[in-house]
Amino acid sequence: MEVNLNRVDYVQVGVTSQKTMRLLPTSGRRATQKVAVADHDGVITCFGMKKGDPIPVFKTLPGQKIFRLTLGGALGTPQEKIFISSGSEVRGFTKKGKQFLSFEANLTESIKAMFVSGPDLFVCGSYIYNHYYDCKDQDYYLSGDKINDIVCLPMDGAKPITPILACQDRILRVLQASDLKYEIEISGPPTVLELNNGNGGDSGEEILYGTSDGKLGLVHITDSEPVPKWEVANEKKRGGILCIDCFDIIGDGVKDVLVGRDDGKVEIYGFDSSLEPILRFEHVLPESITSIQGGCVGKDNFDEVVTTTYTGWVTGLTTETQQKEAGPGEEMKMSQEIQNKVAALRGELEQLQLKVLQEREKFQQCAQSSTAISSVPVFSVNDKFTLCRDDASYSLILEVQTAIDNVLLQSDVPIDLLDVDKNSAVVSFSGCDSEPNGNFLLATYRCQANTTRLELKIRSIEGQYGTLQAYVTPRLQPKTCQVRQYQIKPLSLHQRSHVIEQNRPMNTLTLTGPFSFAEIHSWVVFCLPEVPEKTPAGDSVTFCFQNTFLDTQLDCTYSKGKGDFKSDNISTISILKDVLSKEATKRKINLNISYDINEESVNHTLKLIHPKLEYQLLLAKKVQLIDALKELQVHEGNIDFLIPEYRSILEDADHLIEEYKKQPAHLERLYGMITDLFIDKFKFKGTNVKTKVPLLLEILDNYDPSSLVAFFDSA
Amino acid sequence: MLVPVFTLKLNHRINPRMVTVGKYDGVHPCLTAATQAGKVFIHNPHSRGVRLSSHRLNPSSQDTDVSLLNINQAVSCLTAGVLNPQHNYDSLIVGTQTNLLAYDVHNNADIFYREVSDGANAVVLGKLGDISTPLAIIGGNCALQGFNYEGNDIFWTVTGDNVRSLVLCDFNGDGKNELLVGSEDFDIRVFKEDEILAEMTETETVTALCHMHGSRFGYALANGTVGVYDRTARYWRIKSKNHAVSIHAFDLNSDGVCELITGWSNGKIDARSDRTGEVIFKDNFASSVAGIVEGDYRMDGQSQLICTSVEGEVRGYLPASKEMRGNLLDASVEQDLLRELSQKKQNLLLELKNYDENAKVGTGSLSETDGQTGIIPANTQLQTALSVCLGSETQSPNVELSISTCNDTIIRAVLIFAEGIFEGESHVVHPSVQNLSGCIRVPIIPPKDIPVDLHIKAFIGGKNSTQFHVFELTRQLPRFSMYALCTDKSLSVPKSKVTFLINERVQRVIMWLNQNFLLTEDIGSPDVSFTSLRGGGMLCIKMKPNGEITINTDDMDLAGDLIQSLASFLGIDELQVEADFPVYFEEIRRILIKVDEYHSVHQKLTAQMADHSNLIRNMLVQAEDARLMADMKVMKKRYSELYDLNKDLINGYRIRANNHTELLNCLRAVNQAIQRAGRLRVGKPKNQVITACRDAIKNNNANALFKIMRAGTASSSL
Repeated sequence: MEVNLNRVDYVQVGVTSQKTMRLLPTSGRRATQKVAVADHDGVITCFGMKKGDPIPVFKTLPGQKIFRLTLGGALGTPQEKIFISSGSEVRGFTKKGKQFLSFEANLTESIKAMFVSGPDLFVCGSYIYNHYYDCKDQDYYLSGDKINDIVCLPMDGAKPITPILACQDRILRVLQASDLKYEIEISGPPTVLELNNGNGGDSGEEILYGTSDGKLGLVHITDSEPVPKWEVANEKKRGGILCIDCFDIIGDGVKDVLVGRDDGKVEIYGFDSSLEPILRFEHVLPESITSIQGGCVGKDNFDEVVTTTYTGWVTGLTTETQQKEAGPGEEMKMSQEIQNKVAALRGELEQLQLKVLQEREKFQQCAQSSTAISSVPVFSVNDKFTLCRDDASYSLILEVQTAIDNVLLQSDVPIDLLDVDKNSAVVSFSGCDSEPNGNFLLATYRCQANTTRLELKIRSIEGQYGTLQAYVTPRLQPKTCQVRQYQIKPLSLHQRSHVIEQNRPMNTLTLTGPFSFAEIHSWVVFCLPEVPEKTPAGDSVTFCFQNTFLDTQLDCTYSKGKGDFKSDNISTISILKDVLSKEATKRKINLNISYDINEESVNHTLKLIHPKLEYQLLLAKKVQLIDALKELQVHEGNIDFLIPEYRSILEDADHLIEEYKKQPAHLERLYGMITDLFIDKFKFKGTNVKTKVPLLLEILDNYDPSSLVAFFDSA
Repeated sequence: MLVPVFTLKLNHRINPRMVTVGKYDGVHPCLTAATQAGKVFIHNPHSRGVRLSSHRLNPSSQDTDVSLLNINQAVSCLTAGVLNPQHNYDSLIVGTQTNLLAYDVHNNADIFYREVSDGANAVVLGKLGDISTPLAIIGGNCALQGFNYEGNDIFWTVTGDNVRSLVLCDFNGDGKNELLVGSEDFDIRVFKEDEILAEMTETETVTALCHMHGSRFGYALANGTVGVYDRTARYWRIKSKNHAVSIHAFDLNSDGVCELITGWSNGKIDARSDRTGEVIFKDNFASSVAGIVEGDYRMDGQSQLICTSVEGEVRGYLPASKEMRGNLLDASVEQDLLRELSQKKQNLLLELKNYDENAKVGTGSLSETDGQTGIIPANTQLQTALSVCLGSETQSPNVELSISTCNDTIIRAVLIFAEGIFEGESHVVHPSVQNLSGCIRVPIIPPKDIPVDLHIKAFIGGKNSTQFHVFELTRQLPRFSMYALCTDKSLSVPKSKVTFLINERVQRVIMWLNQNFLLTEDIGSPDVSFTSLRGGGMLCIKMKPNGEITINTDDMDLAGDLIQSLASFLGIDELQVEADFPVYFEEIRRILIKVDEYHSVHQKLTAQMADHSNLIRNMLVQAEDARLMADMKVMKKRYSELYDLNKDLINGYRIRANNHTELLNCLRAVNQAIQRAGRLRVGKPKNQVITACRDAIKNNNANALFKIMRAGTASSSL
């Protein structure tokens, strides 16, 4: 069941948000569908295709940014009414473009996600969920972390209304009226939810989710508990998922799952006989895919996958074969058509160019006057700064609506910039003196032509915190650049988790003092990633974290006047102690810090590190041997004379090298962390052991777990 | 879409840049490449089974198509081609750091095996200038040597630095080949036999050169740049974050003109139009590309482009058929064109929108806004100034670029893109928030005396802006900017000097001074002194009314640069110069003595090694005898003796290796001295100096050497 899809571009609108394009249902039998797409200029564009030309149906006037577009209509009728959300307002349009609804939700936050079903409207701000029936307020819920998306299981009247929120803290929250029914923990922060098959599957209770770390899964929401069905891991390190749809594009009678990712990948998953998803097709577009839907737009009888990208391109991947493979006569005709199009575009361009020249002159003249000012509107930058669990490094993705000229990266903390295969920009590191300007990293990325998206990888060191700034300059006149800031937090390699192993030996740091709940929460936000900025409701709160590199854990429980931080890693406690006391001093708050150090915890952490360290050492040793062994192989002609161990190294050579490349500097990082652990252990005892570090490194070079533990104990 | 016509997986790693194709029997092309452990493999899929193993050549036991050639030294370059004009088959030339081997694969015999003290970093085979037989030309440490089939080096000259790449091509269209040499001092030099026709300065080590057609040639640099030159003018260049391993000219789209095929370190291969640099085809290997060659590998009369990766993967591509109409890539051209035009339209619309929004904000006063959007007065201007700064205790002497705004806006950051003067391609100044101001001073220390364009991008805005205006401008740094005008006449003038006579007005020389030095105000007389910001040495330039110019400096390179720059400014074709660098000459004299010493040590060590290896042979026989006679005690003793001897050998090897590197350094210094002496002259006298110096070295006549360097000719002594 091979599928071969060809790319056709339809129109370009403004910058688009996630889930802002839908295909309107057809009215007749097997006719082409119309496309409704909304952008950041506030314009809804609805168009159909006729003989390869887009024919506009309607276009609204510019306004506020539109965050979501969805379709609705009375239950049992075609879902062809268009609903959009902008600010805290929801508007409804008919398929002809007539506005029939304008509803001010009166939320304090602007609407980020929306779901419409018959007369029911569900909207979500950053933290708030609200349900309206016929525009009348019904239910309300305040989420613990940011809400990314919402769906509601299909309603048949019998079942209670079941909305599901996708929250940033890796939790799907299933609600019942205004209350939480239960939570589902998933492996990554969910970014998008969709009903399986568009109707929740056979049971009407199945939902698909996509995460920002690129995982795709299906979960069955039963009355009492969730039943996970399958999850597709992200082994190839693809981008985060932004949109999902179900449509039978392969034509095997089973609806396939269409996925759009933020690195421009469009994927189609089909199902095998055991209903496991299999990747059937993929295609790469140059920028993030914000919306995806299967349907028929370009030509009758040819199904296609319609996508919109961040910069507003509406593109179809159609089953229609391209004209190239057709006969020579037809080809001529097609190219005639395209020639006309090109000519028209060229004409348009010429006119525009003239106009731009005039305006440019005007702008130049402006510079002569002493009262005039020069102001250039803010261009939109789509950025994402996330911690990747697999290699414990941060990935920074920058996307701009026009081509990027260059990006300047500046950091006031020591960080390592890693090479990313995908990005083709020429990087250049500039020498920087930390005094007096506090720069630890100055690097420029000069982008190749037509690069709108840049991906970078950054490795941070726990305990060293500060700000990373990116100055993005697009290739657009008059030239401007925009600065974006990203916090490198003191415990930058920690990730939220929801389970904590209770029987580990824990060190405890206790804070008491005259601080408010909001104050201590702000300190925690300062120290740790993935904590909601908003102070949680209630009197006290608990957050759990896991160190992505070492798998040690941290448990923070705090309330007004008191904070408890428990971790099995003594370095984590040490960093927290330093940062928290510094923060408190800054605000002139008198803190009482007490700690309870569990001697066992150090050995426990070493035990956690042991398998990783051993694996890495062995890997490094093996990789070192490969070249020499290969030489022997060439020399001797065969490998029969080698001992089995060496033979297996040779057989696995490719795999070993790949594994080794995947984790650059892993060993050095482990060494660094063991050294930190060593120093921190004795810091709490009040002794400075920095002089013994070379001795420690020597032991590490001839690693043996018992001698390391002995060294930790004896020193 | 163009797909490979064949792919092979050879079970041998291939050393980067060491791949060639040779027809060793005159008919069948064989892919030949250097692999690990000092071996060269020859892949011959055409004649199976009929091979003998003898001498150097061994059939590989792994697969039948491959034979291995033992060189027993790390191979540094190889090529194949017709060396003996009487033969109609190719010979294989293999270069190592110490030797050059010309090998007749078909007859399994050495043609010659020569020791080359300067090493062979690159090799090229072909006809050069008027020399009648083909030459195997190798480039080593600052030296070029050409050997004919008899193993005589009938071509020899020096160049400015270690040679990294060579190619033969008819540069000036005279029907004869010139030699293009790319070296580590970033220069591409064109040799018409001994004479330098042209020099092009690039921005990094020139790692690869290839002939396109006519006078056009491609080049690649160590920093990821590839491009095409037509004679001395650069047509285009592109830069990638990866490194170009191999470049080759091949007509892939059958339009009659060769494209530049580049193999990159990340495994990518692309073909670019020779006129525009536009990519017309690309493909990917799983590992770094090792080399790109061409040959009729399927023996069907059509030449294929053959690409190899370091892991031993080989792919052959046929030129595209006519039906593809040059459209080798997957995507449809029409769609791409439409997309490109739409993108252009979108950009223009965005620009219009920018002006529109700007007009809307209009002439409103500044205070109303919070400065977030980076509103600045429309008449904001950026001023730049270059000056020489003598430095202080904390700052070494430098050229200072000062950038300032004309009002109270601030400069958030400055990016300077310039080639060859910074570590990377850019330098960034980013003051901390406390130190923000409307003026930034950037110290620049150009490492070489070359004119540089500084492309400056300054981010201008308010203190709290998140968006800034980008001001872009370009300033040129003059060639000799690291020399500060010195008015203190009391300082002693350096003893070393060059003098020469020119037939030019004084005014023109003054003009040259003003253009090439960084002076605060124009000078009036051609009698000036400078201090070098690099070493603090003095530089005095003086012109007498009769046209005699004296340049006093201890730096022979600088003197050479000055003379070359002045000569090209005044359009002088030939210039004879008297030079005297007593200190430097003395140093060279010492080096020459050292060279002799190292040579004798080398001989001694070699003899010692031969002794040892005889001993080893004996001991091994004795030990094995003992083993056969089951006399374990003696055997043990013999083997432990053998072990000790082995240790001695290894130690001896270390000494030899050290000795060798020292020797190489000295030889390099000597070659450089000759090159420097050449650079002091222009035109014919330049070549005369180099040839005469070479003769003096050959005859081991140090005094003559210095005489030549001084006077510029050997004739005075004869």
